[in-house]
Amino acid sequence: MTSTEFDAAQASAPAAQPPTVETWHAPPARAVRLHAGFLAAIFGVCGLGAMIGPLLAMDDHRATRIGVAFALLLLGPSLGGWIGARLRHQRWKLDAEGLWLRTGRLWWRETRVPASRVQHVDLKHGPLERRFRLATLVVHTAAVHLSGITVRGLDEGDAQRLRDALARQLDDAGDAL
Amino acid sequence: MSQAAPDAASLPQDGQEHRLHPLSWLFVLVAQLKQFILPLIVLLFAGRGDRHDLWGLLAVGALVLASLAEYFTYRYLLRSDGIRIRSGWLHRSLREIPFARIHNVNLHQSLLHRLFGVAEVRLESAGGVKPEAQMRVLRLDQALALEALVRRRGTPGAGAAGIDAEAAPPLLTLSTGELVRLGLISNRGMLVVAAAFGALAQAGNDIFATVVERWGKLLFGRVSAFMGAHAHDSALGLGLAAISLVVAALVLVRLLSVLLAILQFHGFTLREDDGRLSVERGLLARSRSSARRRRIQAWSLREGVLHRWFRRRSLRVDTAAGQRGAQEHHTLKDIAPIATPRRCDELIGHFLPAAGWGALDWQPVHRGAWLRIAIPGLLFALLATGALWWNFGGIGLLGLLLVPLQLWRAHRIAGACGYADNGKLVAWRSGWLAKTWNFAECDKVQALRLSQSPLDRRLGMASLLLDTAGASPFGAPLHLHHLPLAAAQALSARLGAQLARRRLQW
Repeated sequence: MTSTEFDAAQASAPAAQPPTVETWHAPPARAVRLHAGFLAAIFGVCGLGAMIGPLLAMDDHRATRIGVAFALLLLGPSLGGWIGARLRHQRWKLDAEGLWLRTGRLWWRETRVPASRVQHVDLKHGPLERRFRLATLVVHTAAVHLSGITVRGLDEGDAQRLRDALARQLDDAGDAL
Repeated sequence: MSQAAPDAASLPQDGQEHRLHPLSWLFVLVAQLKQFILPLIVLLFAGRGDRHDLWGLLAVGALVLASLAEYFTYRYLLRSDGIRIRSGWLHRSLREIPFARIHNVNLHQSLLHRLFGVAEVRLESAGGVKPEAQMRVLRLDQALALEALVRRRGTPGAGAAGIDAEAAPPLLTLSTGELVRLGLISNRGMLVVAAAFGALAQAGNDIFATVVERWGKLLFGRVSAFMGAHAHDSALGLGLAAISLVVAALVLVRLLSVLLAILQFHGFTLREDDGRLSVERGLLARSRSSARRRRIQAWSLREGVLHRWFRRRSLRVDTAAGQRGAQEHHTLKDIAPIATPRRCDELIGHFLPAAGWGALDWQPVHRGAWLRIAIPGLLFALLATGALWWNFGGIGLLGLLLVPLQLWRAHRIAGACGYADNGKLVAWRSGWLAKTWNFAECDKVQALRLSQSPLDRRLGMASLLLDTAGASPFGAPLHLHHLPLAAAQALSARLGAQLARRRLQW
């Protein structure tokens, strides 16, 4: 769903209702590209960094050295890219019950945070994310293992709306001092 | 600790700030010395005989100064609804703690505290690694009065409640016989022995090897006297010596465990007064921790093999005040360190009267769960057999005997697992030799996660993690494995809907 569709759905909802759009949202394609590219670069740099010493230390076998270096340059980034591209399987949904997040395909996970159990919400923009008008939302709960649920690669507008909706539900719960 | 009824008048509630007990600095110093004990010992012993001793003295002097500074800068002010604590000299802090936010109150008295008639008070709120306030130290009557004040949420008028509390009969006490059983079962001594081994290994001197050698010589002497000459050569003599050594070590470790259990749990009393649980224990160092009943986040009932032999179980709880590490053993954890299965059930029924613990409808896990449980072990067995066959030929194929053993074990484990949910309580039981029942009130669940690995999908099952506050960071207690996919989805949907409707009640 693009952000214009989201806006249309927002506008059609009655004003009194919380702005919940009960469909699954996929991350924008640019978010997946950014994530995959970023992880590919990180993996490539780390792989080369780890192997550069041993490669330089090998005196002969010039052909082997070049081969290994090329394999690293190919394998590292593609592994990183593959892991990063897993973001394309992420789906999120906000409804009256709370936030849903599905990630992964082979190792599939569906996390559910009831709106009444949200403690606070963080919105993060890295420098690269800001450039591509993306944001990362972290929903904190009092749980131990699921204490910070991270929704990556959100469109900036979606992220703002999601945060506002969750924050409004927090205010309604009114557990403040 | 509970001899005197708390007297509210002993606490200064005049709207003024007050200092702690004048001897506070001593206890701050002792606590700091405990933290620096290793470096200090190293300083003292490593620099034997030269001038480096001076550095140790200087360090202690600095600690004394720091403790005095802490005493002179720490002030507390009691108000009608909370407590305000001002502390620090260069780095100042001001802390307002409403009584309503305090989850746990701990009173701790070591031997030194008891000598001076003082106690350390810890006030803990939900979450966080450190206690909200650590008052080191207050006069004992003041500490008791503060505890009572927190219990009544700051209304000093109702003095009678404290006296009633003392009159209420305890829910559980442990006799010395029970403590001996607890020691035998829990095997706490093993931890101490392991730590001692570590320390000896670090020490560098071959103390440990020397001890073993002496012990061996002594035993060999006895054995050869018993069996006559040539005992040194016979396999029987060697075996006897080795076995006796192992048995002696095991007996010693168990004895140590019993001793530790008595030290930690002597005079254990579990009480409840107007919705507040309190546990008091300790032989030399006494401690009392208390928390409101509804602050309990999750429950865990355990029965190991040794428990079963003695027909006992143990019951623990998680509170949201998630203290970790050194402070962990001060928080309210062990509701019943050891009790008969019936008593445990009665206690659960007492604290969760409406939850229907006794009448839970346990559901089995997925029919194929045994396969899922067996597969990692099977793969290992096959790989090991392959390696053995490669190395030793046909005799290595005996490793295949592991396969039926593993299948049988997986069957037993899958049969022991089960889950239950009656709208108020959600429970998960697991373990075949050592059984565990983990359960929590549905409202205490904070977040849910449904997950499926490729193998799970193939078999049509899923795992459901129900996360609560205050659980241990190592391993989730309410992780329901190998559920049929439809059942897991239904449970997840039902709990999600129920939680969204209810506000979080700490």
